[in-house]
Amino acid sequence: MNEVDVLVKMINQISINNRHHGEDAAAAEEVAHHLKKFWARRMKQQIIEYAEKDGADLNDVSKLAVARLKALSDEVESWPQTSDAG
Amino acid sequence: MLNYFDPKQPDSGQPHNGFDPSLFERDLGTPGRTSTKAVALTIDGFEISVPEGTSVMRAAALAGITVPKLCATDNMEAFGSCRLCAVEIEGRRGYPASCTTPVTEGMSVTTQNGKLAKLRRNIMELYISDHPLDCLTCPANGDCELQDMAGAVGLREVRYGYEGANHLDAKIDDSNPYFSFDPSKCIVCSRCVRACGEVQGTFALTIDGRGFGSMVSASQNEPFMDSECVSCGACVQACPTSTLMEKSVIEEGVPEHSVVTTCAYCGVGCSFEAQMKGDKLIRMVPYKGGDANHGHSCVKGRFAFGYATHKDRIREPMIRDSIDQPWRAVSWEEALEFSAKRLKGIQQTYGRDSVGGITSSRCTNEETYLVQKLIRAAFGNNNTDTCARVCHSPTGYGLKTTLGESAGTQTFDSVMKADAILVIGANPTDAHPVFASMMKRRLREGAELIVADPRRIDLLKTPHAEKGLHLALKPGTNVALVNALAHVVITEGLEDEAFVAKRCDTEGYQKWRTFIQEARHAPEVSEAETGVPAALVRTAARRYATAGNGAIYYGLGVTEHSQGSTTVMAIANLAMATGNIGREGVGVNPLRGQNNVQGSCDMGSFPHELPGYQHVANTEVRERFESVWNAKLDDEPGLRIPNMFDAAVAGTFKGLYVQGEDIAQSDPNTQHVEAALSALDCLIVQDIFLNETAKFAHVLLPGATFLEKNGTFTNAERRINRVRRVMPPVAGKEDWEVTQALSNALGYPMNYSHPSEIMDEIAQLTPTFTGVNYQRLEELGSIQWPCNDDYPIGTPTMHGVDFPIGKGHFAITEYVATEERTNRRYPLLLTTGRILSQYNVGAQTRRTANSEWHEEDVLEIHPVDAEDRGLKDGDWLGIRSRVGHTVLRCRVSDRMAPGVVYTTFHHPGSGANVITTDNSDWATNCPEYKVTAVQVEKVSQPSDWQQRFQQFDEQQQRYLERADESEGMAIK
Repeated sequence: MNEVDVLVKMINQISINNRHHGEDAAAAEEVAHHLKKFWARRMKQQIIEYAEKDGADLNDVSKLAVARLKALSDEVESWPQTSDAG
Repeated sequence: MLNYFDPKQPDSGQPHNGFDPSLFERDLGTPGRTSTKAVALTIDGFEISVPEGTSVMRAAALAGITVPKLCATDNMEAFGSCRLCAVEIEGRRGYPASCTTPVTEGMSVTTQNGKLAKLRRNIMELYISDHPLDCLTCPANGDCELQDMAGAVGLREVRYGYEGANHLDAKIDDSNPYFSFDPSKCIVCSRCVRACGEVQGTFALTIDGRGFGSMVSASQNEPFMDSECVSCGACVQACPTSTLMEKSVIEEGVPEHSVVTTCAYCGVGCSFEAQMKGDKLIRMVPYKGGDANHGHSCVKGRFAFGYATHKDRIREPMIRDSIDQPWRAVSWEEALEFSAKRLKGIQQTYGRDSVGGITSSRCTNEETYLVQKLIRAAFGNNNTDTCARVCHSPTGYGLKTTLGESAGTQTFDSVMKADAILVIGANPTDAHPVFASMMKRRLREGAELIVADPRRIDLLKTPHAEKGLHLALKPGTNVALVNALAHVVITEGLEDEAFVAKRCDTEGYQKWRTFIQEARHAPEVSEAETGVPAALVRTAARRYATAGNGAIYYGLGVTEHSQGSTTVMAIANLAMATGNIGREGVGVNPLRGQNNVQGSCDMGSFPHELPGYQHVANTEVRERFESVWNAKLDDEPGLRIPNMFDAAVAGTFKGLYVQGEDIAQSDPNTQHVEAALSALDCLIVQDIFLNETAKFAHVLLPGATFLEKNGTFTNAERRINRVRRVMPPVAGKEDWEVTQALSNALGYPMNYSHPSEIMDEIAQLTPTFTGVNYQRLEELGSIQWPCNDDYPIGTPTMHGVDFPIGKGHFAITEYVATEERTNRRYPLLLTTGRILSQYNVGAQTRRTANSEWHEEDVLEIHPVDAEDRGLKDGDWLGIRSRVGHTVLRCRVSDRMAPGVVYTTFHHPGSGANVITTDNSDWATNCPEYKVTAVQVEKVSQPSDWQQRFQQFDEQQQRYLERADESEGMAIK
């Protein structure tokens, strides 16, 4: 499997595990945030490029998620403070 | 002197305000009692008040009065067999044993007078009449309680003579590699028998025969090595004579000084006294002042330290241009310059993100912190990851999402208050043996046990607690099973509504409640998927929810799945729904694998998080780090280990700095990993041995063992413990010094002179660590984080009042079956695990006598599956999965259900990971080690991979030997 195939497999798996959020758009929002939070810059770029060029192997939620990810990438997100002294 | 267990009293679950090592230097004779009722008495005219239930012997010891004793020791209940501790008590007849006599109000005790002295001398005389008088040449000379007592009672003659029947010719049993058993020295005090039962919980020893013929016997009069003995050494530690004695002491003599430090094997993090002669380690004795282990240990921690001085240690830095060349031994300066030049060159050609590093869960917090700092500040990217990626990363994700903190909620001691213990995908007796001993003690006291595991683990065979429920689920169906448990809890009205209403996000709870009530989660439905009978699931759920205190312990059998994170969240849901969070005896407890895997996660090893789980995209956080580190930090997460491999194969990732981790052996789909490592232009490996990864390296930097460095480890209960240097590093540098030197060579200055300075920087930047420093660690002994202004002495039990995220969050945990499925070509499911004597990739334990217990990895297969294929014990088996093929020997075993096969991965040549796939957890990419569809058949030769492995291994060993030779010639 080449690098992009791996990323497609990863995002589809994330999407399947987030389908319970109801409609595809809601699930895609979760998936996009997951990618934004955990994926490296290059991985994000590669999946966006793939979606724009071909995207055939992305499932429905993943397709929406990549579009959201692209929008999110242009936003400067104010991340919640994740430190947690208790 | 030997040291013995003393549970910290009165309440070991509470943080202690101060730590007084002198408390643990004496043996108080019998265990402490927790009663809050005080009883006052007089001993030899001194008044003392002790908790009700305390023995007269212990009360005397607390008053500073030593009563002679042989069979009593304070990590076991009194036995009353030697009678040497007889005392006089006013108003009572005769001479009661002080060890078995509890104190009463107003009691007046006399421990020394003429009659008692005569009585004790007579008892000693009888003992010595059947004991060799070779004290001067005895290995216990100077460390013998029998000798001490003979002196204490003033024994001067033995009137019985030595001619009669005796045991002086009893044969020595030398079968165990670490200790010898010399029954001629035995006084039949039963300490060893009781230690094996009460402390270790194995019950391998007994007293065979009666009267004069009484003998200590391992199993049914077998040599120790062939018996059920697990070689934990508790009996050796308990023995008051030299009957059970470490062979290292027999060979080297009694140690002359000792240093308290922390074990570097598993996530229990036992405290040990490293007992030394000069800079030579003679023996490790578990420290009874250690809060994680209270004076107990396992075969690895106590005995398997010989690897530190093994001939295979890498003793000097080495470099080579490519991996088909011999190594060249060079100076530190040359190796570091070579590394820096290559890394910089790669970054110039391929960009800033083309290099990265892997921190070590085997190294200290300070060392791990420094490696991720080097990557973020000197490399200028976030390409840092650690072995938690392949073990407990789902714990981090799952617990953070639900409970708000990426760590277990309890102390180990908490298990002593648990009423129902649910163990999911963990094998504590093999992987966390010292904690398992404590758990077994609680089970013997009557706690309920529920085990969810494809395999019948040894915990289910706990002597005197054999009524545990075994939910033998099909590998890969954890989420379906835990959902079914929660379904029963909710539909049968067993939830703790008050807890949920007060502590949890109610909107999320209602959503989850609706979800989990759906009929598809009923055990009767999921039975088809999990293979666990519905009635058993219902019984288990009821036991867990209604026993009182329900505690969940889980391991890699939960995390190493395509839905690892989902299972962790399902576990947290279950605990919250039943109110089993926030007090002693309950909780969600990940049993972490490596000694410092909790610490390596805490220290910012993950590519998206700075130390303290602070996201790299958080500007405020990043700015704080930037100002202290004086460097610009990337705001995007870096690559995870598997992504690094993919990028390496794709040609965009070219340089990797690996400290103390053997990714070539431990990571899944070995052939993919090998392809990735072979594609690198610069692989820098810092390790104590030429491990499998180092065979692909261009730079080899000698690492230091835990015995050769200062620092801290953080165990599975968030306990930060000191690691103290007892011998110099073989190549002159502790691991943090190597990282610092590499950083300086790269042009990013680091100038720490001691790890304590690194910890001060960690405390400055990590909100959960602000109260941690070396001074405080000395004062408190150990600290469980969070430790800050709110929790100045640490936090033994988390989430007592609220969660770090405020309210607990119920996550929806939809079961999604793994893509790894059986079919006609691959009809069996392979799952992997560990055994007691070997540790992880085995780099350390394979270089000790522990290999006598486990010389090779074998494939366990059910008798039915074996019969179908005509297999018997010892046959060579070819195991083929969708990604690879390897060959192991067969062991027929009914510990798994039919259709499931099992192996360990302690030996590199076994190639267990040649067959594991690159499927992984959806949220964290933690590999799915626990589920691989395979076919098994009888074969006659090693697999192609194994043959290539052997050739490659031999070639790389030759390259190393040639480096040694050239170095030898240079010296001449």
